Amino acid sequence: MLSPDMGTPAEIPELLPGTLYLLILRTLKGGALHGYAIAKRIKETSGDSLIVEEGSLYPALNRMLVKGWLTAEWGISENNRKARFYRLTPLGTAELKQQVRQFETTVRAISQVIQTA
Amino acid sequence: MIWWQELKRRAGFVRNRDGFDESLDDEIRFHLESRVEELTGAGMPVRDARWQAQREFGPKLRVHEDSRAAWQFRWLSDLAADLGYAMRALRRNPGFALAAVLSLALGIGANTTIFSLTMEFLFSAPSCRDAASLQYVLLGGNSHSDVKELRFLRDSHAFAGVAGSNLESEANWRNGAHTERIWGASVTDNFFDVAGIPVLFGRPIHRGEQHEVVLNYGFWKGKLGGNPDIVGRRLVLDGDAYTVVGVLPADHRTLVGFGLSPDLYKTVQTPDLPLMLYVRLPKGMSHAEAYGRLQQLAGQRDRMDPQTDFKRTQGLEMRAVAGMDRLRSVSMIPFTAFFGMLMAVVGLVLLIACANVASLLLARAANRQQELAIRQAIGAGRGRIVRQLLAESLLLAGLGTAAGLILSIATTTAMNGIRFPLPVPVRLHIEPDWRLLSYSVALALACALLCGLMPALKATKRDVNTGLKTGERQTGGRARMHRLLVAGQLAVSVLLLTVGFLFLKNLMLATSMNPGFDVHHTVWAYMRLVPEKYTQKARIDEAIRSALQKLRSLPGVLSAATLRIVPFNDQQTNGTDAYLDGSAVARDISYTGNAVGPDYFKTMGIPLLAGREFLPSDTKNAPRVVILNHTLSHELFGEKNAVGHTIRLHTGPPQTVIGVAKDSKYFTMGEKDRPAMYTSYFQSDDAIVNLNFMVRSGLPPASLVKEMSAALGSVDPTAAIEVKPMEKSMALAMLPSQAGAALLGSMGMLALLLASVGLYGVLLYSVSRRLREFGLRMALGAARPAVIKLVLKDTIWMLGGGLAAGLLLAFFATPSLSLFLVPEVGAHDLTAFIFTVGVLAGIAAIASVAPVLRALRVDPAVALRYE
Repeated sequence: MLSPDMGTPAEIPELLPGTLYLLILRTLKGGALHGYAIAKRIKETSGDSLIVEEGSLYPALNRMLVKGWLTAEWGISENNRKARFYRLTPLGTAELKQQVRQFETTVRAISQVIQTA
Repeated sequence: MIWWQELKRRAGFVRNRDGFDESLDDEIRFHLESRVEELTGAGMPVRDARWQAQREFGPKLRVHEDSRAAWQFRWLSDLAADLGYAMRALRRNPGFALAAVLSLALGIGANTTIFSLTMEFLFSAPSCRDAASLQYVLLGGNSHSDVKELRFLRDSHAFAGVAGSNLESEANWRNGAHTERIWGASVTDNFFDVAGIPVLFGRPIHRGEQHEVVLNYGFWKGKLGGNPDIVGRRLVLDGDAYTVVGVLPADHRTLVGFGLSPDLYKTVQTPDLPLMLYVRLPKGMSHAEAYGRLQQLAGQRDRMDPQTDFKRTQGLEMRAVAGMDRLRSVSMIPFTAFFGMLMAVVGLVLLIACANVASLLLARAANRQQELAIRQAIGAGRGRIVRQLLAESLLLAGLGTAAGLILSIATTTAMNGIRFPLPVPVRLHIEPDWRLLSYSVALALACALLCGLMPALKATKRDVNTGLKTGERQTGGRARMHRLLVAGQLAVSVLLLTVGFLFLKNLMLATSMNPGFDVHHTVWAYMRLVPEKYTQKARIDEAIRSALQKLRSLPGVLSAATLRIVPFNDQQTNGTDAYLDGSAVARDISYTGNAVGPDYFKTMGIPLLAGREFLPSDTKNAPRVVILNHTLSHELFGEKNAVGHTIRLHTGPPQTVIGVAKDSKYFTMGEKDRPAMYTSYFQSDDAIVNLNFMVRSGLPPASLVKEMSAALGSVDPTAAIEVKPMEKSMALAMLPSQAGAALLGSMGMLALLLASVGLYGVLLYSVSRRLREFGLRMALGAARPAVIKLVLKDTIWMLGGGLAAGLLLAFFATPSLSLFLVPEVGAHDLTAFIFTVGVLAGIAAIASVAPVLRALRVDPAVALRYE
């Protein structure tokens, strides 16, 4: 678990299945990042409410490489170390658009059900 | 093509597996270090920070494994695991594995061998450039055309090239002290350029060259010792010197195909040699367009030459030298049919082999009932177990295919070395290629499904509860399936055995049939004079007389005669209008013709029914005479004696009938009696340098061969001479029935072997399944005969059903074979049916003895103890 204020096993919501790809794609839209930065960025932009487990982050990144959404190459990180940077491919950009659309449709549908029921 | 790129990325992973692990390690290290830095930056002690980072990250190994899994094919690793499991299971049961693999190996070996043969004969591509645009032209449906036609087509400039070849050209090759007859292809000087035939070394024959030859690989290796400096050497053919310019590769295939391999290619020397015409289509011209042009040109030629009846446009054909186009021609139908039948037969053999393996697997699945039930009980899905059982049959099929392929490659390699006993050299070049490989893979998969799917589904379709109990209960469904399998196997075996038997009988009949002349005491000598030396008929006749004199003086020679056409090796069919006894009314007759010298009938042992033989006095100066065979005499003169009557053919002089000979066979054993007419050799005008002599011998024919060669050689040492007993030269006539009998007979035997093994195994198995029941019955007082009856009832039902179905199949299938059989062997041959049923019933009886004995030996106490 990635929680800076250790000791508080907060009620952090689990990720909805399948949304990990969406989050990674969206995070990489701004430019290439390494794995650690991706996890950190997701946590920060969600206001610490979404936590990506490393145990699923790296396998997910590899699956996305297989699908051709991302490319990876070695570079130098901001703290001057060798790090692996992931970058969105055109295929990945298209995938992001589609996943965002799908996600929005689903969320709208669910909230509608919640409100009317 | 997203999946394709994905596949490439995955393949990249497989190539660089170690690098992947290393770089993932680096990445994880970087992640942990960054986290430690962040934590220490917030004021945490380094040791705690490290511990904290490790704890957050979780087990590294799992990250590794999951990441790697992203790149691998899940089903591939599953399959590998299944195959490993299947391998262990087979190793525990070597007898079963051996029986199954052997069955499949025989079935698949037979299939791939016939497949290779079919590919070689029907689909092998000739050695030339772009076979699709090289077209074979048949003017008026004739296989060969006059050189004038070739020139006309060439001069029309309608095509990118027009060339001709004649594969049946003989030549006398002066090899040191003796002369050998060789088979060459005579080709137009542009043939190699138009067809684009590759050479191994040297160069092809080029335009404008007259006395250049390109050698066949086998001829170069066999007759010239594979001399690497052969290019530039001279060969003396028919008295002329030719320069060797190149050697063809070992796998050279002629445009005609069928393994025909002439000893060399030389340019056409005689202007009247008929040629097979080949045209090269210009780039981009379609077949239809080209055919249209050809039709137009042929019509033009027909109008230019209105006298003759020959119409080039009638039956005009143009087809590519390779592929399906070649198979579409009428003359190919018997070949295509024969290979089609062979493929069907070996397909059925494989079906029997698969049925064997299926019933073995079924029996095994029954023995593993408990194991499977336990696995299902602890939660293995049915699909998973089916997949695993299929992996086992896939493994068996794979092993069987590998063994079968080895068998088949060994067989075809042996076939490549065979020199067929044919008048023209024929050689096969069968090489394992991608077609054979993909066919084998397809066969293996089909076998795996055929053998495995049904037993796997049967084995898993069960209530877990009953399976867990000690399983002796024979479920009705499986027993029925078993009997059906065996009955089906029997039915197919009946069909195959009947076919095999028909061909064997055909061979025996064809061999023992009397052709109407004596083949056992006659020797045939062929002598080819060099044409340039013998331009006048008088010189040729002189050589013949001198040769006959020398032959007759040899010890052991009873008589000798000259003849134009040697029965069973060549034939001449004539059709013309005939006028009898000076009548002006024409009668159309068609007959087999031959020109023979004095003593011919005596030498051949053909009895004369009336009149006399030709005499030495029947020369050009004497009145014209003919001898008819019985059929022709009967056709023209009815019951009257034909001797003394006259016949005038077309515009020729009247000829007097001096004798009537008994009918004999002229070209094939299977032919019906046909009309024949003999003319006197020395009354004909043709100056033919190919001489044939027939000798009647009082000694064994083979012992005369050497002396006859020497005697003829002394007449003219530059002549090519070939002497062989007539018995040996009947090979061509026997080849179809021999090949058919050998191939189909062995397939029939193979089917019988496989089916009897299957029958035996199944009977034994079904008894062992019911041992407890028999024990119980005997314990309760059943007499032995009653138990025997129980066992036999099963067998008889299977046998009866299988045989009946098989006979029905055979009854409807065999008439299509009549194309390949001599008329004396009817398609519905009663002996074939009786033979087949007898053999199979006998085998079933033998197969039943062991199970019956086993059933009787059951100790009731032992059988009951299982409960």
